[in-house]
Amino acid sequence: VTLRRRLTLVLALAVGLSGIALGAGSYFLVRHNLLADSVDSSIVQTRRNLDVATAYPKTSELVDQYKSRGNFLTVATRGGQTFLSSASVSLRSVPAGLRAVVGRGELGYQRTTVAGDRFLVTGAPAANGTKLYFFFPEDGLRHELSVLRNVLLGGVGILVLLAALAGVVLARSTLRPVARASTAARSLAEGLLETRLPVEGRDEFGAWAQSFNEMAAALEAKIAALSEAQARERRFTADVAHELRTPLTALVGEASLLADHLDQMPPESRRPAELLIADVARLRKLVEDLMEISRFDAGAESVHAEEVDVAALVRAAVRARGWDDRVRLEGDGLRVTSDPRRLERIVANLVDNAFEHGGTRVVVSIGPGAVEVADDGPGIEPEHLPHLFERFYKADASRSGRGTGLGLAIAQENAHLLGGELEIASEPGRGSRFTLRLPVA
Amino acid sequence: VDEHVLLVEDDASIREVATLGLEQSGLRVTAVGDGREGLDRFRKGGVDLVVLDVMLPSLDGFEVLREIRHDSQAPIVMLTARSELHDVVVGLELGADDYVTKPFELPELVARVKAVLRRAAPAGDGGTISVAGLEIDPEGFTARKRGEELQLTATEFRLLLELARRPKQVFTRDLLLELVWNYDYLGDSRLVDAAVQRLRAKVEDDPKQPALIKTVRGVGYRFDAGS
Repeated sequence: VTLRRRLTLVLALAVGLSGIALGAGSYFLVRHNLLADSVDSSIVQTRRNLDVATAYPKTSELVDQYKSRGNFLTVATRGGQTFLSSASVSLRSVPAGLRAVVGRGELGYQRTTVAGDRFLVTGAPAANGTKLYFFFPEDGLRHELSVLRNVLLGGVGILVLLAALAGVVLARSTLRPVARASTAARSLAEGLLETRLPVEGRDEFGAWAQSFNEMAAALEAKIAALSEAQARERRFTADVAHELRTPLTALVGEASLLADHLDQMPPESRRPAELLIADVARLRKLVEDLMEISRFDAGAESVHAEEVDVAALVRAAVRARGWDDRVRLEGDGLRVTSDPRRLERIVANLVDNAFEHGGTRVVVSIGPGAVEVADDGPGIEPEHLPHLFERFYKADASRSGRGTGLGLAIAQENAHLLGGELEIASEPGRGSRFTLRLPVA
Repeated sequence: VDEHVLLVEDDASIREVATLGLEQSGLRVTAVGDGREGLDRFRKGGVDLVVLDVMLPSLDGFEVLREIRHDSQAPIVMLTARSELHDVVVGLELGADDYVTKPFELPELVARVKAVLRRAAPAGDGGTISVAGLEIDPEGFTARKRGEELQLTATEFRLLLELARRPKQVFTRDLLLELVWNYDYLGDSRLVDAAVQRLRAKVEDDPKQPALIKTVRGVGYRFDAGS
């Protein structure tokens, strides 16, 4: 149950209960007083009637006299005779208890119902063995009481409704800052770091909004500092790679001149020269990979899309690298609109990675919207899988591979640039399988 | 007679090693270290091809390229950093025939230089092609439009020749890279796009609404001899 609904419910309940208590209290008080008044006035009238009775020795005349008074009905008995002022009541209408009281010579009263009409019956013995019973109608009184009850019930109902309404309005206005803060928090979480809350009033919510804003500002500053630091770091990497380029170009050229003359060298300098040439090639690859990663970081890479026959592309890539005898190509017929140079780079990096990590045979299979590169290498432990595409991540610390540690990261960046995704499935002892998924137009 | 290459490169080590590499492949090399000097040397004549670094003291590579293209269609190979995409595009738009990115292997540089030189040699195959108001003479290495000679670089001329020889055929960028630039495997398609832009500027009546060299979207280009 929401806080708003709870607040509304509690308020309505509190108002309703106090309304009911108040209403019931006043109803029963009024009822008690009215009924007591009715008894008092009936007794007064009864005594007055008894006073009158002495003036009329004939009971039938007395009853007629009473009848002319009008606001009550009379039943009189004398000897075995009964005299009635109205046909609607009879001696049988007089409650037995009252008759017993009067029989003992006392004045009494009791309430009863005759044919659905409510009466207060008073009774008293008069002279000459006459017993008088007076029926005072109380229907008017009862009606008033029921009207009062209905008015009170209706009032309580309306009060509860009003309270519920007030509860809704109050809850909404009270909770508006909370709702606003929750929206603001969500937009912060979505990365809109400049989100702030309006500070209204000096109440608790105002103070809270103030603290919220301070937190958001601190967060914004922290993240700005972090991304600034990251940008600086990336710029530094790009600059380093850039600055390495010129001496590296000279090195690469010199190594290639050396390579042309290896066979003319004396044996003791020949081996170092061979190593030098290999290491220059490794350094070149590392610097080129670093420059490529820096270009991705700078967002400087773009896609030159064309119609590509993926199988033909993979075949050409494998042949160009002299991998024909170790890579088998399966499947055909995948044509995509994509950047062939980037596709080539991804597949080549995946195959290169497979060989680098102990694969001896690689199968590249081309299926609908996907290219798979599977190897027969030792496979990868599950805990390494989530990190494989990270830069310089080494799954096996003891293996100092000939790779740069950037091949898979570059493949992933390229895949993303093409709107695709690289996935890996691997099991220790059963080889690894990289899947490049491409968007199919 | 050996072909004469002018190498303009400010880094002494690269200059020396590139000179050695080019010389060992049978070319004659003059190497200079700054842009002004390079341009002066070029203007003295006798240069068959220029290898031009972008970052140069006194006059940068683009300025030198612009100056040379002002009155010469001599073959030019740029040395650029691969990290600067922008450099490649600017160089090609200014009329460079090809480019090599640093760090490069010597055989790569030699192969690019030789491919451009081969392109600049008269193509002694077949007679003059007359199509859509153009006269293309492979032996004389000249192209005329309505009798007027067009100033085309070797690359632009080869490109026009390949396209015009087979009008209506769609050429993929890769095919053109193979036919014109001698790339046997995944060259840079921007070479083709930039050369087509330059060729259109010289051949078309309205380069913005090309009537002769049509783009086939997502595939490549096609020569349209007109209806």
